[in-house]
Amino acid sequence: MSEATSFSNPWLQWQRTLIDETVAVAGRMSALPTLWERAKKIKKGVSPAEVVYEEDRLKLLHYKSENEPRYKTPLVFIYALVNRPYILDLKKGRSVVANFVAHGFDTYLVDWGVPTPADRHLTLDDYINGYMVNVMDYLSERTGVDRLNVLGYCMGGTMSAIFTALHPEHVKNLILLAAPIDFSSKDGLLNLWTSAENFDVDKFVDAFGNCPSEFLQASFLFLRPVGNFIEKPINFYENMHDEKFLDDFLTTESWLNDNIPVPGEVYRQFVKYLYQQNLLTQNRMPVGKHIVNLQNITCPVLNLMAGKDDLVPCSQGMPFTDLVGSKDRKTILLEGSGHIGLAIGGRAQKEVWPQACEWLARRSD
Amino acid sequence: MSDNFEKTAEQAAAFQKIWMNSMSKVMQTAFTFGSNSPPPDVLKEIRSGIFRALAQSWEEYMRSPQFAESMKQWMDAAINFRKMSNDFMAKVRNEMQAPSRDDIDTVMLTVRHMEKRLLDRIDDLSNQIAALNNRSNGQSAKGQSAKSASPTNPRPKARKARKSLRGAKVEAV
Repeated sequence: MSEATSFSNPWLQWQRTLIDETVAVAGRMSALPTLWERAKKIKKGVSPAEVVYEEDRLKLLHYKSENEPRYKTPLVFIYALVNRPYILDLKKGRSVVANFVAHGFDTYLVDWGVPTPADRHLTLDDYINGYMVNVMDYLSERTGVDRLNVLGYCMGGTMSAIFTALHPEHVKNLILLAAPIDFSSKDGLLNLWTSAENFDVDKFVDAFGNCPSEFLQASFLFLRPVGNFIEKPINFYENMHDEKFLDDFLTTESWLNDNIPVPGEVYRQFVKYLYQQNLLTQNRMPVGKHIVNLQNITCPVLNLMAGKDDLVPCSQGMPFTDLVGSKDRKTILLEGSGHIGLAIGGRAQKEVWPQACEWLARRSD
Repeated sequence: MSDNFEKTAEQAAAFQKIWMNSMSKVMQTAFTFGSNSPPPDVLKEIRSGIFRALAQSWEEYMRSPQFAESMKQWMDAAINFRKMSNDFMAKVRNEMQAPSRDDIDTVMLTVRHMEKRLLDRIDDLSNQIAALNNRSNGQSAKGQSAKSASPTNPRPKARKARKSLRGAKVEAV
């Protein structure tokens, strides 16, 4: 009897699976014709915003809120020079920006724009001591507040840390989100691939000018080849009839494939001084005429990291709080999350961002 | 020639090894799962196990010196090709009496050097003005000039100059 049951159960299960799968395939096929149209309709940033300051290709966005800000100190998001900043405001329920706006912060975001071949000579000095200082000056004039809250994501986090070390008088609180600081670790494949023995960045920039977006895109995809080239398409095929999955997938993929080039000289400096020589942690990083000393950062610091980040492994971000001169410093590590999940993932929205908003609220006027 | 051949052979051997490892891990994973769960779940578990094994093998391969060497060769080839195409395009444009990318880069660099010299000069002048102001206020110029050059406040006046040089525009809110 028990043998008959153990035989019939899998058999019934197979039959049920066959029917379910047939229905699912029909659903997938019906979703196919609308796929392209839906992909084209994906919004790039969902929170209402206006451009309040422009300089060259830079645009400073101000997010509108229905209510008056609860805190006088404005918050500025500094995004990386790679990819576009709307990942921070990707969609409703997954927007980092919306969390802070809803919490009552007067929120701004720096969109660096897309560099052209004419921008290949821009250096970190131009971005940090030029554009960033001008943005902070403008915001100080606009809001009447001298010291602002700064949140930097990824490469924007590294730039924010450098900016705070060079201009501590501008920053009230600093939040780093998956920002690489210590490049000595070889946990990440990027560190290995960009080492001086494997990669001649001078030859590369001299030949290409700006670092091409396709090159960056390929490098990021090859960090997880099986995940990106095999698992992701299968996952997509299996779930393309699910409206919610499809919406999340298309939104994230649109952003992932929306790469922009990095100005050649910035790329050269970033690879040479950080990936190859790791000068920032040694307080020897040159930016224009100045040397960055992380000990000059004395404001409260919040360091947010993801446990399964392929792009910026924890070992690159973790040492930051030990390198700064601040006494008020905190680290939040979201285990099991990746680089993008830390910003837009469901768990990050529930566990990280409410904490980060509270942390900042307690330290803002 | 033989050196190149050896390198290629090493890379091929490393690639072959990675596939052999992958396949053995995949087979191990496939036969590890029992039949206690319903069949579709077993298949899914086997599949995710196979992907994990494959991902692990590829991670090992991409960390190997052979992969680094092949990546380097590929990069060198791409850079050489780009240089050749740059040179070719420069020749074509010069023949047509049009500016090439090199010409434009040279102009851009000249402008940037001019900008840098101007900013440095503005820095010096602003420091001198600050010192004069301090002197006229009866304060020690020495102490103040040291303050303006402190690492926590680098180039305080240059920003304004940079802003005006770059043509910032502010929209009415």
